[in-house]
Amino acid sequence: MPEHAQILPGTLDLLILKAVSLGPLYGYGILLRIEQISHGALLIEQGALYPALFRLVRQGLLKAHWDTSENNRRTKFYELTTAGRKRLRQEEDGWNRLVAAIASTLKAQPEEI
Amino acid sequence: MRVVGSLRSVVSALFHRSRIDKEMEEELRAHIQDRANDLERSGVPRAEAGRRARLEFGGYQKFKEECREAQGTHFLETLIQDLRFGLRMLRKSPGFTAIAVLTLALGIGANTAIFTMTNGLMLHTLPVRDPGQLVELLHHYPGEPEPGFNGFSWDAYQTIRDGNHVFSDLIDGTMNFFTVRGDKLQPQTVFGGGVGGTFFQALGVRAAAGRLIGPEDVHMGYHAPVAVVSWSFWKSRFDLDPGVIGKKIVVGDAPATIVGVAQRGFYGLSYEAQQDIWWPISLGPSPGWGFGLLARLKPGVSLEQARAEMAVVFQTVVNAPDADPFVRRMKLRIEPAGNGVTTPLSQMLSTPLMVLMATVGLLLLLACANLAGLLLARGASRQHEMAVRACLGAPRARLLRQTLTESLLLSLVGCAVGIFVAYFAAHALIRVFASGRFIMGAPVHFEALTNPDAHVLLFTLAIALLTGLLCGAAPAMSASKTEPASALQQASRIGESKSRRLFGKGLVASQVALSLVLMSSAGLFVKYLSHLRNLNLGFERNNLLLVTLDFAHSGYDAAQFSRLSQELVMRLDAIPGVSSATFSSVSPMEGPGASSFAFAEDDPERRTQASINYIAPDYFETYGTPFLAGRDFSARDQAGSPVAIINETTARDCFGNENPIGRHITLSHITLTKGERTYEVVGLVRDAKYNDLQQAAPPTIYPDLLQQGFIGSQLAIRTRIDPSGVASAVRQTEAAVLKTVPIARIMTMNEQIDSSIVPQRLIAMLSAGFGALGALIAAIGLYGLLAYTVARRTHEIGVRMALGAAGTDVMRIVLRGALRMVCAGLAIGAPLAFCGKRVAASLIPDLPVAGPLPIVVSVAIMIAVGLIAAYLPARRAMRVDPMVALRYE
Repeated sequence: MPEHAQILPGTLDLLILKAVSLGPLYGYGILLRIEQISHGALLIEQGALYPALFRLVRQGLLKAHWDTSENNRRTKFYELTTAGRKRLRQEEDGWNRLVAAIASTLKAQPEEI
Repeated sequence: MRVVGSLRSVVSALFHRSRIDKEMEEELRAHIQDRANDLERSGVPRAEAGRRARLEFGGYQKFKEECREAQGTHFLETLIQDLRFGLRMLRKSPGFTAIAVLTLALGIGANTAIFTMTNGLMLHTLPVRDPGQLVELLHHYPGEPEPGFNGFSWDAYQTIRDGNHVFSDLIDGTMNFFTVRGDKLQPQTVFGGGVGGTFFQALGVRAAAGRLIGPEDVHMGYHAPVAVVSWSFWKSRFDLDPGVIGKKIVVGDAPATIVGVAQRGFYGLSYEAQQDIWWPISLGPSPGWGFGLLARLKPGVSLEQARAEMAVVFQTVVNAPDADPFVRRMKLRIEPAGNGVTTPLSQMLSTPLMVLMATVGLLLLLACANLAGLLLARGASRQHEMAVRACLGAPRARLLRQTLTESLLLSLVGCAVGIFVAYFAAHALIRVFASGRFIMGAPVHFEALTNPDAHVLLFTLAIALLTGLLCGAAPAMSASKTEPASALQQASRIGESKSRRLFGKGLVASQVALSLVLMSSAGLFVKYLSHLRNLNLGFERNNLLLVTLDFAHSGYDAAQFSRLSQELVMRLDAIPGVSSATFSSVSPMEGPGASSFAFAEDDPERRTQASINYIAPDYFETYGTPFLAGRDFSARDQAGSPVAIINETTARDCFGNENPIGRHITLSHITLTKGERTYEVVGLVRDAKYNDLQQAAPPTIYPDLLQQGFIGSQLAIRTRIDPSGVASAVRQTEAAVLKTVPIARIMTMNEQIDSSIVPQRLIAMLSAGFGALGALIAAIGLYGLLAYTVARRTHEIGVRMALGAAGTDVMRIVLRGALRMVCAGLAIGAPLAFCGKRVAASLIPDLPVAGPLPIVVSVAIMIAVGLIAAYLPARRAMRVDPMVALRYE
């Protein structure tokens, strides 16, 4: 089992958007997909997922509809809106820039100063 | 788009709350179920899987709450929740709720009532173009009561019109009652006015039908026989019939044709004296001060500039070569008229309303302090509840909001009750006003002064919200600062923080201070009223019955009047209980009568402005004013040369120290007519008040009514018994002798005096009421705090008593604490009361502010009230049973 990493505050929205961008999902499915694509490295407090989902719906980044799932149960599915897709791109860029900046900072050697 | 969308989600969320709640539940449960199934599949036993799934999910209720919040329904939903909860809390303690609502309803109601009148009387903007530019012109003699009289002679009108550079329009409009008759129109008295040719145009009033009066209707010495009616008159009398245009009516005695209807909502120049009909007045000389003037300031001209220029222009008016020396002292005043012109009512009430507005403001502040204190005490007893809620995860803001919602709820309920209180209070006040002599017969639009309009309702709502916030702020802050842990630990025994205790005491002290201010000013006004009622008037006020007769349709000439009036007096004298009776043209305190300039025949330079009262024989005997020299009129005078009786002040002004008897005195400009009359002085009487209680007796000249051939409408009857006892006999006798003369009014002299001091009576009455109310509120505040303190200190008191303190010791402790608060309040209140006295004195010129009596009495009353309020809690403290108190822990 790989070591768990606590997710940074504010990054949960990004993870949800990313997970949903790969195809419509229901709540528990989103959790599973994040675990799956992070190879179990990211640990999410499960309940915290839902307030975030409701918030994203209200912001118009996700839309939700009720449908029947593969095991024939009424389930609420989430998918990305156009605004959500745009926001995901922005957040990805922002994240990458941040990571690059921090990484280069951490790589700094004494002689570079 | 975004806003609309989120708004829609809020609304739909609110309406479909239960469905959404159910779906949310379904979604979250499905998650936990899915997780449990997965765990079970990976080999966890079934029961353990369900438990683990719930554990992993975290705080179920917390997340549900967060979901709700995230959905945007939170605010409205919690508001409703808070309101529900608040209502439940208020229902749970009906005593507290009743006291709080009543206190607030009285405070808010009093403010609304007074504001309704202030609004109707002073704050109503005229419905005309740019009302802010309108000014009113008044002339004013130095020494006369403010603000002056709006009336100008033709000469003055011309000089002002042609000589100024500050007015873009000079607007000529008068106000008066007229009888309007016409085909299919019952004769009725209508308040209206003559207007100049530019009146409507300059005010920017349009016609609702037909045309308005214009310059073409007004010429030198002539005006077109036309009239314009108001929209409401058109509606109530003609049912909005377009055929009203061209209708022939008679206004007074002059025929006129209705040519138009003024725009809807236009009521003339005063909100409380609304006009319904206007007709043109001709240009040219007219008797007296015939022109009522308004003006519109040119753009960019300030009121000060206009005043400066017009003061100079007016000098040329009063310095005309033929002007009376007295006229030369006249000054012009220019006052803003955007809220309407000065009327007797606004003149009479503006100062009282200001005083009352300040008083009720203090009262509301007092009510706020009281309620804040009660809420704080209650908040402290709810500390445990707050602590529990904080432990269960209620955020601080939420507790704050809950407490504020409760106080706002209280203030809104108080506001609703207060509006009722205000409605009845305003009607009661109007009844008092209506008994005032200036108001009798005046065209007062009472609905305007009693019915709240949008302004008033907004004002009331604003003060209610402000009150709610003021009352709730301190308790809310203290509730939100609840420390869960310490509050839960033996919530009943921990001491309150020192600052909070001090704050509660401060609130009580401030209530004592405020009610001291209210009470001492009430004392001041009551003292003033009693001073007015006990003034030496120069005549005997008790046992005097006054009858006003209406000779308008009697058809009597002077000779008939002379014969019949003497017969009536003789027959009245015969009524048991009547000692004498007399006729005169005016009675004291009835209102202004005739006036003129007066001078000794051989010394025209020494002149004075004198009031005139035409009297029949026995006038001074009936009124009880003593003769100082000379004689009364007799029947012989009627055929002789003109004679008059004068008072001391006239004698001093015109004859100095010389004996006036036998000298001649000349009156000129009698009630603004030209022409002079000379009388031989046959009697000298003591000074007596003429028209105004507060002013010294003016120079007064009494010519012989019967000799001058005038009809006197005032009948006065001196009685030996209570005047009401002879009233019906007087009525019968009058009807038998003067068959065609109805009695217009019958009242005692004391009632007539009271009707001349309505504003003073009103201030005294209301401020006394508010003072008493203030003391009561402060007493409730003190009682509330002490009762609560004693309840909290039951344990401590029990310990003290167990250790040997006697009941009286405990009582002394409580009383001492109460006295300390009262004294602190008095120490703060005394200087405030002193300032209040100064303010009142600046508003009401002859207020008897000297002497500390009102403040001293109020201090004594407050101490007594404080001790009474403290007595009950103190007695309860004394009766604490140590065993019970200690076991209670």
